[in-house]
Amino acid sequence: MAVFSVAWYAISLTTPNKLLLPPPADVARALQDMATDGELFSNAAISLGRLLLAVSAAAVLAIPLGLAIGRSRLWEDLFELPVEMLRPISGIAWIPLALFIFGIGTMLPLFIMFYTAFFPMVLGTAAGARNIDRRLVAAARTMGITGTVLMRQVILPAALPAILVSVRLAVAASWTAVVAAELIGAPSGLGYALDYYRSMVMTSSVMGYVAVIGVLGFLTDKALRLLGGRLTPWAAERPR
Amino acid sequence: MMRAPYMVIRVATRLTVPVLLLVLWQALAMASGSARMPRPSAVLAAGLALLASGDLLAGLATSLGRVFAGFFLASAVAVPLGIVMGSVRPVERNLDPLVESFRPVAAIAILPLVILWLGTGSIAAVVIVAYAAFFPVLINTIAGVKRIEPNLMRAATTMGVPAITRMRVVLLPAALPSILVGMRIGLGIAWTAIIAAELAVGAKAGSSGGIGQMMFVFYAYSVELNGIVVCMIAVGLVALCLDWVLRAGLTWAVPWSRG
Repeated sequence: MAVFSVAWYAISLTTPNKLLLPPPADVARALQDMATDGELFSNAAISLGRLLLAVSAAAVLAIPLGLAIGRSRLWEDLFELPVEMLRPISGIAWIPLALFIFGIGTMLPLFIMFYTAFFPMVLGTAAGARNIDRRLVAAARTMGITGTVLMRQVILPAALPAILVSVRLAVAASWTAVVAAELIGAPSGLGYALDYYRSMVMTSSVMGYVAVIGVLGFLTDKALRLLGGRLTPWAAERPR
Repeated sequence: MMRAPYMVIRVATRLTVPVLLLVLWQALAMASGSARMPRPSAVLAAGLALLASGDLLAGLATSLGRVFAGFFLASAVAVPLGIVMGSVRPVERNLDPLVESFRPVAAIAILPLVILWLGTGSIAAVVIVAYAAFFPVLINTIAGVKRIEPNLMRAATTMGVPAITRMRVVLLPAALPSILVGMRIGLGIAWTAIIAAELAVGAKAGSSGGIGQMMFVFYAYSVELNGIVVCMIAVGLVALCLDWVLRAGLTWAVPWSRG
């Protein structure tokens, strides 16, 4: 890390044009300026808020649907084909059409993130619900547990580790998508700020925002890992 | 005799939702009353026209060329680096913080910097793709190398196999399944990244070619929504094909891996 910073500093010294590669200190100063006048925080809050809203909306739809697909042949037959047909069309490919439908604004990033988050969660939940230990379900059935109680007390806890992993994947994918969506079609947020400073050729601010996007992505993943550990202590994450 | 009606019912069930969605789409488009609203029938016609004129294939070819160039660049760096990081402790300890701090920065986020440094041509697109594909390949290579049964390496060392041969005969075959999985993920991400890059470059800084740019032109200049939908479907089909090809390559190259 230290070597990297020194190398960055050295290259920035030998680059004649400061706009192309500002030294680390300039980026730090730009970050400090943007933090003191609050725009950094308001943009980050907007993007994180959109992330939270879109992913929760997607989760509310995707997790029940995934459970149904994983546990019932009929639901699987009904929904597997449409999911497999839509999934390869990435959320980002929807941006031009969504721009036309929603216009530039908050709905566009929300829709793109919702779409991006939806598929990993449906597939992950369905796989989790499908791979439950059969003996658990059989034991519960023997004891006369069926229907909603079976779903809530047996299937959901057993599938929860897989569901949480898919939520993490969905959040990571959405975080990529929000930057792309805001870059192209939103009047606010981190992606918008990034492109605003690019068009102003304020490279140190651009690099500052790049760093912030990376740090926030890293922190959300950390937070979700922690939450996953709390919610499902029985499923200690295997080292990867 | 009993199986046939059952199969018919299953096929019919599987087709229900897609057909309903198509009907709903057509109905919504007709109800909206706008001639510009894309509808299935018009999309089909637009798709045939774009195929016949060769524009669609040309756009796809440009984008695919960039994806493959970037992907091979990324693999050429990430696989050797991953093998070294996975087998030499100090190298991993020193490089890992750097990798982990760049990994959460999406390829799209560095797009403004890349435009600044390299302009808006093919080179910039290739760099974005290479950056996007680099991390999955690297991480999976490291994981694959680390997961090798240590006794395999020890046995080879005991039998006096020289280090280079050891790498070729023991390490590489054992790590290959994981490396190829990383490549599959990386190629998928690369395809998404190229669309985003071409869209954003098209939206912000002029021409660059490729399927993403084509979509943006349909949106911004000719307002040809049917064309956009055709491009979306093409993007999805290419993503599917890329995944199939790599999956087939995986089972062909490493028949010993199940999964």
